[in-house]
Amino acid sequence: MKRVLLLLLLGGCANLRVVPLPKEAERHRPKTADGWELSLVRYRAVGPATGRPVLLCHGISANERNMDLDDEHSMARWFASQGREAWTMSVRATGDSDRPDPSKGRTLPIRFDHYWQYDLPTAIEHVRKVSGADAIDYAGHSMGGMIAYAYLSQGGQGLHAVATMGSPTRLDWGTGLEQLIRTLGPAVVSDDIILPSQFGAQLSAPLQTLVDDGPFQRFFYNPESTKPETWQRLVVYGTADTAGGAAKQLLTLVETSRFTSADGKVDFRADMARIRTPVIVVAGKLDRVAPSSAVKDGYRALGGPKRWLLITRANGALGEYGHMDLVIGERAPDEVFRPVLDFFNQHEPPRTH
Amino acid sequence: MNAVLALLLTASPELSVSHRRVDTPDHVALALYRYQRVGVTTDQPPVLLIPELGFSRAAYDFEGRGLARWLVARGLTVYVAELRGQGKAGPGVSLEALGGDLRVILDALKVKTIDLVVHGWAGSLVIASNATDPRIRRVIALNTPLLAEPPSVLAESFLEDGGRFSSLAGSPQGARTFDLLFSMWSKFPRGTDRGFLSTGTRDLSRPVAAQLLAWMRQGDLPLASGSVVSRMTNSTKPTLLLLGLADGFASPELCAVWRERSNGAVKLRSFSRLETKEDFSHLSMLLGTYAPEIVFPLVHDFLARATP
Repeated sequence: MKRVLLLLLLGGCANLRVVPLPKEAERHRPKTADGWELSLVRYRAVGPATGRPVLLCHGISANERNMDLDDEHSMARWFASQGREAWTMSVRATGDSDRPDPSKGRTLPIRFDHYWQYDLPTAIEHVRKVSGADAIDYAGHSMGGMIAYAYLSQGGQGLHAVATMGSPTRLDWGTGLEQLIRTLGPAVVSDDIILPSQFGAQLSAPLQTLVDDGPFQRFFYNPESTKPETWQRLVVYGTADTAGGAAKQLLTLVETSRFTSADGKVDFRADMARIRTPVIVVAGKLDRVAPSSAVKDGYRALGGPKRWLLITRANGALGEYGHMDLVIGERAPDEVFRPVLDFFNQHEPPRTH
Repeated sequence: MNAVLALLLTASPELSVSHRRVDTPDHVALALYRYQRVGVTTDQPPVLLIPELGFSRAAYDFEGRGLARWLVARGLTVYVAELRGQGKAGPGVSLEALGGDLRVILDALKVKTIDLVVHGWAGSLVIASNATDPRIRRVIALNTPLLAEPPSVLAESFLEDGGRFSSLAGSPQGARTFDLLFSMWSKFPRGTDRGFLSTGTRDLSRPVAAQLLAWMRQGDLPLASGSVVSRMTNSTKPTLLLLGLADGFASPELCAVWRERSNGAVKLRSFSRLETKEDFSHLSMLLGTYAPEIVFPLVHDFLARATP
């Protein structure tokens, strides 16, 4: 029995190595106005550039490797292969970006507001400066899309067209889980902590391929669209610790249904009506983290131009999509990235030669 | 407990199911079924169940299983109405007229108050057309859209082809279409979903399929007075809206928004496998393996409690 368990564990460990970035990946470290260095990775366009650069941002408890997992699962490298210079970013205290260090003025709390007020503007400005582009395109997964919503709703500049993928603007959908979150959330989450979500994820990594239809599959991905081995790699090096302040701010999406600044004074959802940047809003039919209702709420709030894209077999996809399938799914290049790129291209002015 | 009740019900000679025909002023025959346990009385109003477009009474009572008998076992008097174009009712060529059929049914029942269980797009029509009827006390709405939006590629193709359920039953491709729209990611008692497709559905008429498609594409359906959106939004009936994540015919994002626009009348309960055994599709919400365990008790509880 012990041998069987050992073999299973060893089998589960087969994918537990970090796949390094390829040699063409360029590392950049711009500094935010409040003193945090962010990790950005640049992929130059393969062949002649076909459009403006694209900046890619991950969701909560994640890092830049969500958009650049390996050769076959990389939105960044896919965009580069299509002639778009592509950049990934890690928000503060995730990935290779700076960690909190009070001795250097990098203190807690880290809130969602820091991401849209400091991190995203810094990344946009850096990409514009390096590339020479007047404005760039942007794709954000989950919270990465919410950051763009907040930024644009408050008049943020420099984004030409945007894709959000599995990005909710409210999370009070009458599920039994909400009551649990309302009860436990405030007890677990506070401004002055960093939740060890990366450690927890990595601890579970060897078991990820051993449990079929377990809670991770139900919550994060659909094996119809993402191989368990791919998911396992993401767990190993695509996860990050979670800033308690950011988690606390986002809890209001469940507690009050409002999508607001931490002080409650800025109503992002209401202000999203002012957004005139073209946005494509992508949702997965079986996304149980950000259900289509939660994502559609954001779509409805946008001023437009905008496009809704529900990834489902009823719309031609070859499998149903959960939350993470939107960025690491085996067919995501065809079923998600391609329509996103087409949307970006549709909003490009005609190129003159 | 549920199993015991089900056994008693199955074995009980006291359950009576009666059928009567109700004629509309424009001479369409509607079908009305009454489920009652002889000798059982209750203070609760009767419950009227309305199937989805193209569905029949079987959505609530398929081979002795379903919400109708489940509620009867708990002492309620239950009616199932097949409105024009559904089940054994006369032909339907107008969506708005289908919504109006409910009034005829309520007149025929001669009840002071009644609770309503509605399903899908038919539910939207029925609620919109009868939002202010004082006889309706409470509403259970199962995947009932407020907003219509351009349908999925598959739903569009199905409706462009006239909404012919009969064309789906005979081929693997048709079965796949039915699965993706009505029963995906769902568990059913053996043979139920395919059996329901064969015997529980009825082709939409071409005019109804075209009207439904136009409604989806245009976002709303104008009625003689107001529209579906305006009338549903103004409904003050205490309503419990139950949503299944895996519904491919009336997607939850079309339905959930009703809660926000309802001024508090609509309460929302969504299902997903994150916390329950099933995501629930359009059909499994009523006939799925887990419906009696997860969905039906919520229906009963909402109707039975003193204040909704």
